Amino acid sequence: MDERRTGWVLIFVLVGQLVYLAVQGARDAGSQTRLETVGLRLLGPAARTIAGIPTNLSDAREGAKLRGTILEENRRLRREAEDLRLKLLRLTDVEGEMRRLGSAVRYTTPPAGRIRAVDIVYVDHASWLRTLVLYSGDQEAWVNQPVLSPDGLVGRVIAVAGPYAKVQLVTDRAASVGGMVLRTRRQGVVRGGSRGSGGLELDYVPLQADVRPGDRVLTAGIDGVFPRGIPIGTVVSVEAGGQLFHRIQVAPAVDFGVLDQVYLLDFDTVPQGFKEDLSGERP
Amino acid sequence: MSALKLFAWIAAAVLVHFVGMQLTPNFARFIDVFLVVVVLHSLEASSLSALLTGLLVGLLHDTITNGPFGLFGFADTIVGYGTARLAQRLVIQRPTGVLAVVSFAAALQQAIVVGLLFLLLPDPALPEPFWIALIRAGVSGLLGTAVYIATNHWRRNAEVRRRGKMSRLRLG
Repeated sequence: MDERRTGWVLIFVLVGQLVYLAVQGARDAGSQTRLETVGLRLLGPAARTIAGIPTNLSDAREGAKLRGTILEENRRLRREAEDLRLKLLRLTDVEGEMRRLGSAVRYTTPPAGRIRAVDIVYVDHASWLRTLVLYSGDQEAWVNQPVLSPDGLVGRVIAVAGPYAKVQLVTDRAASVGGMVLRTRRQGVVRGGSRGSGGLELDYVPLQADVRPGDRVLTAGIDGVFPRGIPIGTVVSVEAGGQLFHRIQVAPAVDFGVLDQVYLLDFDTVPQGFKEDLSGERP
Repeated sequence: MSALKLFAWIAAAVLVHFVGMQLTPNFARFIDVFLVVVVLHSLEASSLSALLTGLLVGLLHDTITNGPFGLFGFADTIVGYGTARLAQRLVIQRPTGVLAVVSFAAALQQAIVVGLLFLLLPDPALPEPFWIALIRAGVSGLLGTAVYIATNHWRRNAEVRRRGKMSRLRLG
């Protein structure tokens, strides 16, 4: 093909891609593209295979050490399980009491949802386009499904391709989560920090609100994606930013560098019937 | 054969990227193996093949990043086509030339991606400090040069072996 025709092909391809990008920008942030699904299906198995191989000597050495101390570890875990069982008994009692009090004032507690463990096959938490790819096995994840770790909120699923799912981390600049300060119940919007800092920002908290470094920030359950009460992070600094709102820096509760397994929360914050009512035409 | 070779290069890039990420979480921050494949292929390919390779490899790269899907596809298409056109006008055979081309291509790709992010995202911010972009361009350039030297060396050795075989056949 001569260079002139190639030039036209280039223009066609670039304009096509620009339109594709613009259409994506105009669509809902949670929606995924077919091309992305195909790419994830291609690269997911490769990532999973490589994630399963111990890649350095220290891993192998650690494995050998673990094998040596496995009995001791087992004993310690049994003791921990006993303690946790006792705690669970106490908490079940408290839960029952809370339900009784709730029903006395006709308050219905929202459902807590179930969690299931899934493996991480690829994680890039250091670069500015942060990504996490999960392998969820037979039971597929769904778009907008919350992803947690024992320490707190990790993010939400944004693309699903069979058993593989791509997750938008809470530290992503484009991510937004409805958050609240635990001590004062003051609500705001938690977003990924700028300049690839790996931190978070709590926005839209008025200057008169009482927020201090050390305050814990949890999900507020107001965004229709995450249920209330999942730890997001801890306030690191509070400055007066602009005329109306604080500039609040938050350190994430989760250390993304040590994640190897996360949990998918099988939980729908807004009931399906209610969603349909909202999207349908009103009389 | 050429298409097979290209797919082998892309598979190798995917493998190196995943292994690198397993070894250090900062791997993708400082090296772009996908771009290296695009530039090295474009140095020897026609401009059409270069732009299509850029598109394919860029979209693969988009799959494992979290920005709007197509950012790297767009940037790598331009980089692939630009490199092929440059290679048609200039003779780039020295390793220093390859280093300069790959480094410049890496810088250009990052500039295009950042420009697109500013156009597309409602509240864009500069993603990385400038010095990280420079290091990424430099390291990608070094990797490209190393791969270029190694493949050239391997090609020359294969050629010598082939000639040796031919001459033995003639003598025999």
